[in-house]
Amino acid sequence: MPSALALRPAHAPACSAADPPPARPDADEWTDAAVLAGTTAIADGALKAAAAAIDGGTYPLDIMARLGAAGALGVHLDRFGARFGLAVAAMQAASRSCGATGFLMWCHDVCGLYLEQSGNPALSGAVLDDHAAGRTFGGTALSNPMKAFAGIEPILLRARRVPGGYRVSGMLPWVSHIGPGQYCGAIAGVTGAGDTISHEIMFRLDCDRAELKPCPHFSGMEGTSTWGVRLDDVFVGQDDIIADPARPFIGRIRGAFILLQCGMGLGVAEGSLDDMLAVEEALGHVNQYLDDRPETIAAELAELRARVMRLAETPYDGAPDYLIDVLDARAQVSELALRASQSALLHQGARGYLMSAAPQRRIREAHFVAIVTPAIKHLRREMARLSQEILPTGSLQGGRP
Amino acid sequence: MSLLEPTDGLGPWNQFLCRACGLIYDEGEGDPDSGLPPGTRFADIPEDWACPICGVTKSDFEPYQRRAPVAPASIPAAPQRRAGVVIVGGGISGWSVAEAIRAENATIPITLVTACDGSLYHKPELSVALGRGLSPDALRRETGVTAAARLGVRLMADTVAVGLSPERHSLRTTRGTLRYTHLVLAHGARPALPSSLDPALCWRVNDLAAWSGLHDELARGPRTVAVIGAGMVGCEMAEDLARAGHAVTLLGAATLPLPDLLPEPAARRLLAGLQGVGVRYQGDSLVRGLSRRPDGGLTITLADGTSLAAATVIAATGLAAPSRLVRSAGLAFDHGIAVDPTTLRTSGPDIFALGDCISIEGRPCRFIEPIGRQAAVIAHTILGRVHPGYAHAAPVIRLKTRSAPIALHGAPVAGSPWHVVEESEHRLAMEQRHDGAVTAWLAA
Ligand SMILES: Cc1cc2nc3c(=O)[nH]c(=O)nc-3n(C[C@H](O)[C@H](O)[C@H](O)COP(=O)(O)OP(=O)(O)OC[C@H]3O[C@@H](n4cnc5c(N)ncnc54)[C@H](O)[C@@H]3O)c2cc1C
Ligand SMILES: Cc1cc2nc3c(=O)[nH]c(=O)nc-3n(C[C@H](O)[C@H](O)[C@H](O)COP(=O)(O)OP(=O)(O)OC[C@H]3O[C@@H](n4cnc5c(N)ncnc54)[C@H](O)[C@@H]3O)c2cc1C
Repeated sequence: MPSALALRPAHAPACSAADPPPARPDADEWTDAAVLAGTTAIADGALKAAAAAIDGGTYPLDIMARLGAAGALGVHLDRFGARFGLAVAAMQAASRSCGATGFLMWCHDVCGLYLEQSGNPALSGAVLDDHAAGRTFGGTALSNPMKAFAGIEPILLRARRVPGGYRVSGMLPWVSHIGPGQYCGAIAGVTGAGDTISHEIMFRLDCDRAELKPCPHFSGMEGTSTWGVRLDDVFVGQDDIIADPARPFIGRIRGAFILLQCGMGLGVAEGSLDDMLAVEEALGHVNQYLDDRPETIAAELAELRARVMRLAETPYDGAPDYLIDVLDARAQVSELALRASQSALLHQGARGYLMSAAPQRRIREAHFVAIVTPAIKHLRREMARLSQEILPTGSLQGGRP
Repeated sequence: MSLLEPTDGLGPWNQFLCRACGLIYDEGEGDPDSGLPPGTRFADIPEDWACPICGVTKSDFEPYQRRAPVAPASIPAAPQRRAGVVIVGGGISGWSVAEAIRAENATIPITLVTACDGSLYHKPELSVALGRGLSPDALRRETGVTAAARLGVRLMADTVAVGLSPERHSLRTTRGTLRYTHLVLAHGARPALPSSLDPALCWRVNDLAAWSGLHDELARGPRTVAVIGAGMVGCEMAEDLARAGHAVTLLGAATLPLPDLLPEPAARRLLAGLQGVGVRYQGDSLVRGLSRRPDGGLTITLADGTSLAAATVIAATGLAAPSRLVRSAGLAFDHGIAVDPTTLRTSGPDIFALGDCISIEGRPCRFIEPIGRQAAVIAHTILGRVHPGYAHAAPVIRLKTRSAPIALHGAPVAGSPWHVVEESEHRLAMEQRHDGAVTAWLAA
């Protein structure tokens, strides 16, 4: 089995941090090798240098633009060959340097997925072209609806039907990769008479039409431009509808949505492995007494990555067994990132505990990987639910004998 | 905890839950950081107040009733430092392995992971219990918790094994990842339901929990029940339901029940027995669909276009071993987890399997009798004791249809001829021969 390091692409010539993003990236140039090389160059150069600043609050839109130009934000789309494995690999490469940026890539990737899969010409034309190439930016506000669909919490946005569309109100906490001039995919419950929800709609929310409220400080990932979003009777017309009803749409993209997240955790784990290896020469004589040594982490990372890559070949497989495989891989990615980052700090000791050091940052990144929806607990709950035998219920009131 | 007692005559302080982040606003405590002194009633909070954690406003709060605190379940304090044996499945197979190991060794750590509650019960009773008026409690011989304490086993109930990494000896479950020195797969088989049958509309009887649901539904008095599938479980259930007073139709795909197992004269006796207790047998019936009528009853549609009404439907259409767990771990699977016929080792290192989930030479064998012998072999191997190994032999099959009991010995081959040895009003004996030797015989 190749080691995790061996799976990495050969290094391409690094472009300097000063390179401006090309005005019009040519999609034909987005070959697998070019995308990976371009992403790795950005990750190992400008992104690595900026990681501490991003952790503390710098929103790296410039770097996101360059990742977009390199193809790292578009290759999972059908129009570019639905290369999910490549999208995960690119996210891994970036997250190896900076977990927060890996998360931004995921937010951006799934937003692109919504726009394309919507089949709405108003969203899947020029709007998507700009998004896929990183010329415009948008995220995803699906944490609450995803949990609502799994029966964990009530849905927070409410829509009312009006001529020509809907009017939506409500408040969402914690939506990342948004800001003035940006957008995100969101879901609202359509209320009818008596405040009951008939179904849900999914739509593109233009952030300029909502109020963005600053969030309290997080312990890390501060550069993810995360806001509370308040909607006050915002009109949503046909041009912004991603899916109506939303549930079948979500059912179709759920596997792809969750699978893509694996790139983040794989990258954080791989970065942690780098941190361990960096001190092996100097500290190996004492580090040999630790659990989760580099070779252990590397072996698990390689196996898990190979499994994720296999799953990435069929992202729209609708079978429950496939979905459980995806949930299982995503949960293991979280567990591995937690263990690897913890071990990296123990390997580095005090130097890793410095506020400027990568290991302490990666620990907080790994914690984020493990708590962002779907969190480890949500994944396990959902796997338990999907594994259950479906049996008749409610037939008690049913029928004459 | 509020220090202040309410004096405004509006009753005790109330709590409100933020639906977005779970923060609880307690009127007695207020939110001093946002200028709400202790004792501020929710109704008196200004509309522009925001949740101090996530920033949503007042309208996203809802009245909150404190849940009764859940006492942490007491679990054995002994920390599981050594990985030990992990068993997946709390059916007869899983518990038999735990018993067999403990009979020889009192200290090796054992963890039993099971998707059900781990209750011990004798599954064959499920197809005779309604007629005897037994309740779920009467069928449960011991709770999982009691058995675990008796055997010194760490029980992880309501826990599903979801992933397996053989090289690292690690098993992923819905309650965390476990390391093992040896893994025993005993997760059984699951009902195989034709895609034309909606699982939410028909019962399958393959475990105590499902049987208990069926039992509850039938407890309200006699009903019309349709049993789809005239295999062993279908025939036994049909008779049991009839004995319990229900109006039963048994739907079989062939002209006679149990066509794969029984020669025609034996199947005729079985049919007569079933009819004698009131079962209506409808042969040559392939089910196409199942739906609920507006009045709550169910309609079964058949391939010939006719249909049938029933209040309760039970599907007994066979079992299949689930393959996802072992296949995604790269273990060999062939109609069941492929095991070595003498050691019961799977193709993965230190992984064994037994019971309903395995196949030997591509053939499953889903009966009680082999399980005890399989468990003993696995326990001995894990403990490093010598053992002659498992020798597979087809178990005697006894159909528990009291109206027409049938016993089948040897290895019957479907399609090869049966010879009548004895036939009288009270007894039928037949046998199959191969190269002059008797290979199977039956008594009905
Ligand atoms: C830095 C950061 C960025 C984020 N970015 C995004 C983003 O871009 N998009 C996005 O959609 N989300 C985002 N999130 C949200 C994130 O995905 C999770 O949804 C969030 O962390 C909350 O999930 P949880 O697992 O903590 O909720 P859980 O612990 O699973 O709680 C679920 C729900 O249970 C309910 N609850 C809690 N306590 C009780 C109780 N006592 N009684 C009854 N009910 C209760 C609450 O309604 C709660 O919301 C972000 C979070 C962070 C920290
Ligand atoms: C109605 C009926 C009547 C029968 N009558 C007879 C008879 O008369 N004579 C006879 O010899 N045989 C009979 N059988 C067959 C016999 O009962 C079975 O062969 C035997 O009980 C199988 O036991 P097992 O432990 O291998 O599987 P099961 O009893 O199916 O146990 C499997 C266990 O694994 C758990 N599990 C499943 N998946 C997972 C997972 N992913 N993670 C964790 N846990 C999991 C389940 O919750 C369960 O506890 C009958 C069967 C039925 C259904």
